[in-house]
Amino acid sequence: MGGGWEAVRSRYWLRACQSVGEQPRLTGRPTINPEGGQIRIGDRFRLASRPAPSHLVAGPGAILDIGDDVSIGTGAAIAAFEQVRIGSGTRIGPYVIIMDTNFHGAPGDQSVQHATRPVTIGNGCRIGSRVTITRGGSIGDGAEVLAGSVVSSAIPAGVCAGGARARIIGKAGELASRWDSAAASLPDLLMTTLGLDSPPDLDDEPVPAHVWSGDGVRNFLAALEDRLGVSMGDAAVREARSFADLAVAVQNVLSGRQRSEGRP
Amino acid sequence: MKRLGRVAQWVATLKAGQVWLRSSLGARLWLHACDQVGPNTRTFWRPNIDNRGRMVIGARVRLNSNWAPLELASGPGGVLEIGDNVFINYGSMISAQLHVRIGSNVMIGNYCIVADTETPGLGDLPHPSPVEPRAIDIGDGAWLAARVTVLPGARIGAGAVIAAGSVVAGDIPAGAVAGGIPARILRAG
Repeated sequence: MGGGWEAVRSRYWLRACQSVGEQPRLTGRPTINPEGGQIRIGDRFRLASRPAPSHLVAGPGAILDIGDDVSIGTGAAIAAFEQVRIGSGTRIGPYVIIMDTNFHGAPGDQSVQHATRPVTIGNGCRIGSRVTITRGGSIGDGAEVLAGSVVSSAIPAGVCAGGARARIIGKAGELASRWDSAAASLPDLLMTTLGLDSPPDLDDEPVPAHVWSGDGVRNFLAALEDRLGVSMGDAAVREARSFADLAVAVQNVLSGRQRSEGRP
Repeated sequence: MKRLGRVAQWVATLKAGQVWLRSSLGARLWLHACDQVGPNTRTFWRPNIDNRGRMVIGARVRLNSNWAPLELASGPGGVLEIGDNVFINYGSMISAQLHVRIGSNVMIGNYCIVADTETPGLGDLPHPSPVEPRAIDIGDGAWLAARVTVLPGARIGAGAVIAAGSVVAGDIPAGAVAGGIPARILRAG
């Protein structure tokens, strides 16, 4: 009985779509608004609209094409003014924004008009919470975009990307890679062992030469072994040109160790 | 004039009483689906509670659902534990498919996401996730500012402060101030 009601309810809220596949399931009340465009949805579609309502919008002549087995979290804002395609088996987290413009007003508002560029999301992708995908963004099959990222360019298939704007961090499936412990604790570790005034920015700060000689390196290596249990050679650390290189080197040791211990 | 002041005072008292009554009675009503709710727990407006596992809420917890409802969800076999004296602000979503523990005296800002799976709020998916849920632990007295996202497997130490808009992955030590995407330690505890 509950299943029947769910099915009727889901069909009702998706009634404005051009086509809807088998067994759609919705929670809450989304806004589905094809203003002269087309919204096409595949089989077993899942869309959450609680606590925040999601909305799917297609502008005049635009196509919003969603494949089979797609699930989309709460508070999603997906707007097509030319074309947005989402491949089959893709999972999208809560509060995600996907649009093929850089900005658009409320329905009927023509105040901002600029060229649109289609957005394409491949099959089997994993899009994290609060990701923003704007015009021209494309995500290859099986790629993973980490929470809070902004994508406006091409992300190749099978990679894990993150950041604003999203850069390639590793292979998909190694979610933990740089977002786990090493990246989180390294700035603090570097600051205390090298005697810096503030934690260094892991993204682009070059290693200052005066701290990267003598005692600094030795203290850092000792602290690394003490805090993270990572023992690294003097040479491997000295090769690092920036703190980002250093983080990658530490992470490689960490993930290598996890793999040898048989952990995923 | 004196009389008018007394009337104003009386009206204010009446209003406060009304808020107290409504939030206390509301908690009884809206948190009915929880397995355990401590004394003096109050809700402001109606939260969404979706309890399919176990949900334990401590004493003197305040749940605000004004402007946007708050969502607490536990999946089959999932455990959601909220300690005493916790404040959770509106629009936040807390989802436990495995285990989410929120310690006592924790403050959680508006529009936060604390979920131990990648796609919370969708119920059972017909196509199972390739990644297992990973438990989340938020220590006593931690403070999450607005729009913080806590990813599966994250552990936040007691008294830690997470800056607004951050994405927390992995461990944040006790007493630290952390922020950014992903959250890095800005000041050690």
